[in-house]
Amino acid sequence: MTGPAEKEVLLEVKDLNITYGTGRRAYDAVQQANFVIYKGETFGLVGESGSGKTTIGRAILRILPTSGGEILYKGQKINGRISRALDKQLTKEIQMIFQDPQSSLNERAKVSYIVGEGLQNVRPDLTPAQREEKVRQALLDVGLLPEFASRFPHEFSGGQRQRIGIARALIVEPEFIVADEPISALDMSIRAQVLNLLRHLQKERGITYLFIAHDLSVMRYISDRIAVIHRGRILELADAEELVTHPLHPYTRSLLSAIPMPDPRREREKTLLVYDPAIHDYSAEAPQWRQLRPRHWVLCSESEAAQWISQEERS
Amino acid sequence: MEQNDRILSVQDLHVKFDLRGRVLHAIRGVDLELYRGEVLAIVGESGSGKSVFTKSFMGLLDANGSITGGTMDYYPTPGGEPVRLSCLKGEKDWLRIRGREIAMVMQDPMTSLNPLKTIGEQIMEAVCLHQGLKGAAAREKALEYLRDVGIRDPEQRFRQYPHEFSGGMRQRVVIAIALACSPRILICDEPTTALDVTIQAQILQLLKQMRQKYHLTIVMITHDLGVVANIADRVAVMYAGDIVEIGTADEIYYDPRHPYTWALLSSMPQMGVKGQDLFNILGTPPNLFAEIRGDAFAPRNPQALKIDFVKRPPYFSVTPTHKAKTWLLDPRAPQVEPPAAVKLLRKEASVHDRTR
Repeated sequence: MTGPAEKEVLLEVKDLNITYGTGRRAYDAVQQANFVIYKGETFGLVGESGSGKTTIGRAILRILPTSGGEILYKGQKINGRISRALDKQLTKEIQMIFQDPQSSLNERAKVSYIVGEGLQNVRPDLTPAQREEKVRQALLDVGLLPEFASRFPHEFSGGQRQRIGIARALIVEPEFIVADEPISALDMSIRAQVLNLLRHLQKERGITYLFIAHDLSVMRYISDRIAVIHRGRILELADAEELVTHPLHPYTRSLLSAIPMPDPRREREKTLLVYDPAIHDYSAEAPQWRQLRPRHWVLCSESEAAQWISQEERS
Repeated sequence: MEQNDRILSVQDLHVKFDLRGRVLHAIRGVDLELYRGEVLAIVGESGSGKSVFTKSFMGLLDANGSITGGTMDYYPTPGGEPVRLSCLKGEKDWLRIRGREIAMVMQDPMTSLNPLKTIGEQIMEAVCLHQGLKGAAAREKALEYLRDVGIRDPEQRFRQYPHEFSGGMRQRVVIAIALACSPRILICDEPTTALDVTIQAQILQLLKQMRQKYHLTIVMITHDLGVVANIADRVAVMYAGDIVEIGTADEIYYDPRHPYTWALLSSMPQMGVKGQDLFNILGTPPNLFAEIRGDAFAPRNPQALKIDFVKRPPYFSVTPTHKAKTWLLDPRAPQVEPPAAVKLLRKEASVHDRTR
């Protein structure tokens, strides 16, 4: 792995706040999120349901309005009001893969339309024949047969439907893909197929991923760096192996202890750590984003920092 | 485990579904002994028949499905007279078994509760129906179940509706309702799939505690071998409507013999090495409308033997508790090496042994 200085920043999130509702009913879904995604890497965002991980993904795609902070893509601000030209560029360059292949495909459209629809918008210069050729190629790229173009989504299994969703994202040749729990709804054996496919596509085309999931074991395998988010705040961020082998925040520790391993003897002896947010006493001192180990940031107060580091060294 | 300790005995069970004139052979001759007080995990992909198999224990097959062969015996008391479940006809017979003897926890706690009734009413319903309690006594009992499954302030929660509960709490309520039937066998159909990892671990712990307290026999259905390592005493691996391998948890995880079990274990992301491809099962599960010749997994198994395509393998015993349906265990079969991830698990097991 190369140092951060040598890498090109693709996306930067600065002090991002996202609020649902207004006035008394306002709910802060994301508070003060800060992170950077480098070109060509897989950045993992892990958290429970309701933690705000999907909200961040959607804000990057400009599906959700932000209420504070900045999202910079290739150095340009992309949240809030942007020019039409930039909007068009982003539609082409940033794509999404959805969680549930059962509900994310239009049941009434043929695969050729589902996959090729984006082209009509992004590449209006193509003739129908050229578009068809592109659809063929996209289907081949994700390991499906070109004949499938004339079929309907209900004729496919879950794994195949997820591949159609990936083909749809790929066809406009994006540089950055937000993958929101792309394998949670799939069977074990199909998960491996889809993970391998995503990894190969990244290698061939240098695509950058923001990979959103609740399962740290998948994250460890697929991600280069991982950020842990809980109740709208990013608590810890580090390289994947560093985070898994030297977790500092108690919440990360509890997540790690919950990973099920295919190892009955170790499983029977393991103790489950339960995270209680009440252990933090932030009344005297507000928590800050600190780098406690090389390339490893944690949201904590000064006393906690010392305590967690010594705890980590002992274990 | 002794022979007379069994609580459920299934012999050569066949289940078929009629789908617009075409016949789907969902369960193809399954044998299973379920022992009193154990936790048995049934692992398989979607479409492997694991849910259909367990639904047949409760007479919950869809109207177009039926048991077309084999027997299913339920032993309510040790050594007592069995009830032949496969011969039960009609709702009236089944109502004596369903809930009272065998209860079920469904996958999705969002849809298995009635949104129009309070949690309390729904638990009381089970208590009144199956334990014959009424009024204050039933209420007291229902509160006790809520406390058992780890719900704080049960008095207050009792009056609340399902939408006021989080996913994990709802699943606890569903478990409480199942317990309120005071069953002997509890079937859990993917009870944690819809939940977060941390909540999943807590629900598994809860099931372990409840098993102790209520002397339950638990059947866990899952597609994820990782989830059940913690809780299962025995593991049965299902593929294409058949149990292809069964053994104690240690045997299945540390010494699996069937190529499909190998594939399932090594395709887990937990076993993946960063930067390398995950082990990948090629193709898709077989079409159960057509008749399957030989070993159902053979077309997806690159190392399949010739005989795998011709003759269906019988069970070969590895130990008294461990058997698998694969020709690889035949003495005449060539030596086939299991994949690297499986060997890694075996090595870890020997490390455990040495530290003891």
